[in-house]
Amino acid sequence: MKRIAYRTGIAAGAALVLLVGAGLAMPAWGAALTPPTHTPPVLQSEMAGVTAFNGLTAHDLSYSAMDGLEGGGVRIINGDTLQDVATVYSSQYANFAWAPDDRTLYISETYWTLGNRGKREDVLSIYGGPTLANEGEIALPGRLISDPKTHTFALSPDGHYGYVYSFQPAPAVSVIDLHARKVLTSVEVPGCGLVFPFGKRGFASLCADGSLAVADVDPQGHYTVRRTKRFFDVMHDPVMDESVADEHSGRALFITYDGWVHPVHLADNPRFGKPWSIEEAAGMSPATSHVGQITWRPGGQVPFAYEPSRHRLFVLMHEGPAWSFEKPGRQIWVLDTRTHRLLDRWAVPESAYLVAVTQDTHPLLFALSHQWLWVMNAESGAVGRATQIVAPGLVRVRGE
Amino acid sequence: MQRSDLDKWSERLTRRLAGRVSRRSMLSRFGALLVAAPLFPLLPVQRARAAEPAQGTDFSRAAQTHDDTACNYWRYCGIDGNLCSCCGGSVHSCPPGSQPSPTSWIGSCINPDDQRAYLIAYRDCCGANECNKCSCLNTDHAMPIYRPQANNHIIWCFGTNSFEYHCSMAVLVGLAE
Repeated sequence: MKRIAYRTGIAAGAALVLLVGAGLAMPAWGAALTPPTHTPPVLQSEMAGVTAFNGLTAHDLSYSAMDGLEGGGVRIINGDTLQDVATVYSSQYANFAWAPDDRTLYISETYWTLGNRGKREDVLSIYGGPTLANEGEIALPGRLISDPKTHTFALSPDGHYGYVYSFQPAPAVSVIDLHARKVLTSVEVPGCGLVFPFGKRGFASLCADGSLAVADVDPQGHYTVRRTKRFFDVMHDPVMDESVADEHSGRALFITYDGWVHPVHLADNPRFGKPWSIEEAAGMSPATSHVGQITWRPGGQVPFAYEPSRHRLFVLMHEGPAWSFEKPGRQIWVLDTRTHRLLDRWAVPESAYLVAVTQDTHPLLFALSHQWLWVMNAESGAVGRATQIVAPGLVRVRGE
Repeated sequence: MQRSDLDKWSERLTRRLAGRVSRRSMLSRFGALLVAAPLFPLLPVQRARAAEPAQGTDFSRAAQTHDDTACNYWRYCGIDGNLCSCCGGSVHSCPPGSQPSPTSWIGSCINPDDQRAYLIAYRDCCGANECNKCSCLNTDHAMPIYRPQANNHIIWCFGTNSFEYHCSMAVLVGLAE
């Protein structure tokens, strides 16, 4: 706008010189320079500001591009319009979660004072307010630095506590009081990893022997960790890191490389349901880890999306051999978690690494390939808009 | 207490054995067994088993042994990241400007030339910006992050001056048999 005003000034100055040069002796010229009265006013100046952030909407997708090439950053995109809403800074290999108010964003991240070296600082950064601005940090005793994994950071269902999985030097979960903004304790979970919150303050971790570690807390805030029975064969068919859980109800679906779904109700005394096979739900033989068996298997970076209200599980599926659990899916299988039936098989336009579903009454299904975001109708599978995106590492939607 | 059929059968067998074999005879046979035990691994049965080829995997069936800048090079069965061989280093040395991590995760790959399984240390080179060349993602027997000793998603830069990931090596440790 300043450039327009500048040009207007130049033109007016030139006209004045012409008038002076003509000795102001030609009234007809003067009449011709009089601007018409109906011309709309030209914007002369304005103040720069920040667009207000009104909170994560039901159809917003927030995702991060968190590897060494793309740097960090949490981006929010409107699923209906595919317009960018906001971007928040983060380090590489960060993780993030939204508070239940859908306005406060917590980012678990790591920095060094000299960029790639110097003093290491692990922090939980807080963003919020009307413009999603930085509101400070909470120093962490450590955190695991790895490729993006959804369950390395989580909040309690009421948003009061944060849980950060650490590997410095032994497996532990740091418990943070987000209201008081301080770390309460670090709970060691030897031989176990990741964090799945349940109840008011409890959490569970998956263990390397095929069991769960369950941490519950007494009124004084002391955590006790117990191991459950072994419920999966870790050497031949491990449960995937990106298994899904509804922290509000405690329903978890621990899903293996070969597509076996282990339903577990997370609680102080977890209840284990009977495992069922995704392939059997489709009328096929279950996948196995036998060499040479090419069949449909779950795979990708975030291959599962869970919609507890409609009991829907969306799974990225590909055809491949055993141990191909990170191969992207060219189909999304829709399963009913109550009846263990396959409801639909939808093709995705481009093999997808990540899938997410919104948690509202008209849900959107997001399928993310390496550089494209596809928006689908989560009830019909119809493919809608698509947009090019920065390669993502994690995805979150409102109400997860 | 009610005795089971197994209890009764065991008792009959023990009494029959005691009736036919002397205590001294039992002890002498047991002693001979102890003395001979160390020789069992040298018997032809054991050697024949050791010479058996390792069971192949889906990766090893398509693996090759001559080009360490390709993702299907036999040692890369579980590698995730940029190959140091493409970044100025090699399969067992870091490119200049980066630093090898003393820690690693351990996998096991089959060499198609001799069909034997070898232990491979997937060791990251750290401190330089990500190389971004020859990016591979192989997951043969790679484990989830809660089993870290066999996980390729962790940035294995523990013990170096920097956690900046640059590239990954596949260092031969030895036979896995």
